[in-house]
Amino acid sequence: MTAADPGPAVKVFGTLLAGGVAALDATAVGQTLLAQPLVTATFLGALWGDWTTALEVGMILQLLAAGTLPLGSRTPEDYATGGVIGVGLAVALATRHPFEMYRESCAVIGAIVGMVSATAGIPVLKWQRRVNEGLGRWCEERLRAGDEGALSAAHRAAIVLAFAAGVGWCAVWLALGGWGLARVVEGESLRLSRAWGLAQPLWLGLGLAQLLNVFLRRRLGRAALFAISLVGTWLVLMLRTP
Amino acid sequence: MAKLRWWDLFRMALRSALLQATWNYERQQGVGWAFSLHPALQRLIPGKQGRCERLAEHTAYFNTQPTLASLALGAVAALEEQREAGAGPDAAAVARAKSALGSSLAVLGDRLFWMTLRPFAACLGAAFALGGMVRGALAMWVCYNAVHLTWRFLGTGWGYRSGPAVLGKGLRASLERLTRLAALGGCVVIGVLIAALLAPHGAPRRLVFQVAMMAGIGVGFVVAQRPRPSPTEWALGAAVLCVAASWLRHP
Repeated sequence: MTAADPGPAVKVFGTLLAGGVAALDATAVGQTLLAQPLVTATFLGALWGDWTTALEVGMILQLLAAGTLPLGSRTPEDYATGGVIGVGLAVALATRHPFEMYRESCAVIGAIVGMVSATAGIPVLKWQRRVNEGLGRWCEERLRAGDEGALSAAHRAAIVLAFAAGVGWCAVWLALGGWGLARVVEGESLRLSRAWGLAQPLWLGLGLAQLLNVFLRRRLGRAALFAISLVGTWLVLMLRTP
Repeated sequence: MAKLRWWDLFRMALRSALLQATWNYERQQGVGWAFSLHPALQRLIPGKQGRCERLAEHTAYFNTQPTLASLALGAVAALEEQREAGAGPDAAAVARAKSALGSSLAVLGDRLFWMTLRPFAACLGAAFALGGMVRGALAMWVCYNAVHLTWRFLGTGWGYRSGPAVLGKGLRASLERLTRLAALGGCVVIGVLIAALLAPHGAPRRLVFQVAMMAGIGVGFVVAQRPRPSPTEWALGAAVLCVAASWLRHP
């Protein structure tokens, strides 16, 4: 541990805090994209001192998250905490050994756990929304009784609940992942690293295709613009290389 | 007769950041809506009991895109001002205006913010992140919030000045133009991003990487035409295949 290294307890605390803040920003407070995996991954990369793993896992989760739309009353995958869990687990595991193959196996595990926890987070979000139903009814009742402070009290309660759920969800997954998957990563790093070599480009492609579909909306002109931009950038990159 | 001041509108805009804090299946943003409108009603209705009754009315069902909700908040605050002056609508008319604005803004706002601007900001962030992660996160955050926070903070004023007619042709056209621009920008940025991922700094990646990524794009584009399974479920399926393939190849 160097002078600039905050130590494992601070890192874990910072990761859990990031989970709480992300859970708040995703729905309850602001919706300013602080909860998006690329932003939380940047924070975690700086906190754990591993930019490479944070960027690789964060970008995959970000591309998948951006194609997940919170339209109407649909409950989307919870990539706010999923991003923190996936990147947090990957960078936490990767600190144990300095080998590239080991780092890649941590990245594949982190990305998978991030996706699974985001999907498994849907019932937690639904549970919070059901708790909020009770808060809504209570609030109306108190207002009709002349208690003006009920609105602020209901909001405080909902915010505390969202933050606590975010921190708790991250804590459970990070504890289970750190305990159960560390041995898998150590024992199977060769195979997992090879799986990463195949899965990383596949995931990037899947995520990019979802976004491309959102932008194109079956318009030929837009498809042409995309093709020109792709080929143009490719040519510029190739021609600039000595 | 009390009139709303800029400070009341600013407080409403600030509170609208919590519009979704108590989101639930029964009232959706109803409680958050009442909380956001509170500063306006504080100015307009001096009696506590009357104000509480009015706030309770506003906790009923409401839902719209959260950023553009500030337009509806401003417009409904203007209606409440008229109502208190005795010159305007009754409770049912306010509820009708709320509902009409909510659904129209949801259609425009979902298309602009969720279906175009957020994916565009994500692509821009990912493209910038290839040259430095902090730069990527900043680019994404600034790109989205330049639009998001502008609408959130100026929207209450626009809504208040125009009333329920806020969604006239001018504003609708601006929102649609912004959506179109973001989609065109997205097409360009995603092209740049794919090229930069395939050949970072002009050095092409390994053939396996290029083939797998193009396969991912191809499959992803086909499966994107259907809502189910979700992209995450497809990505998890791909993960199972990749792990199984690496196990089979190196037993």
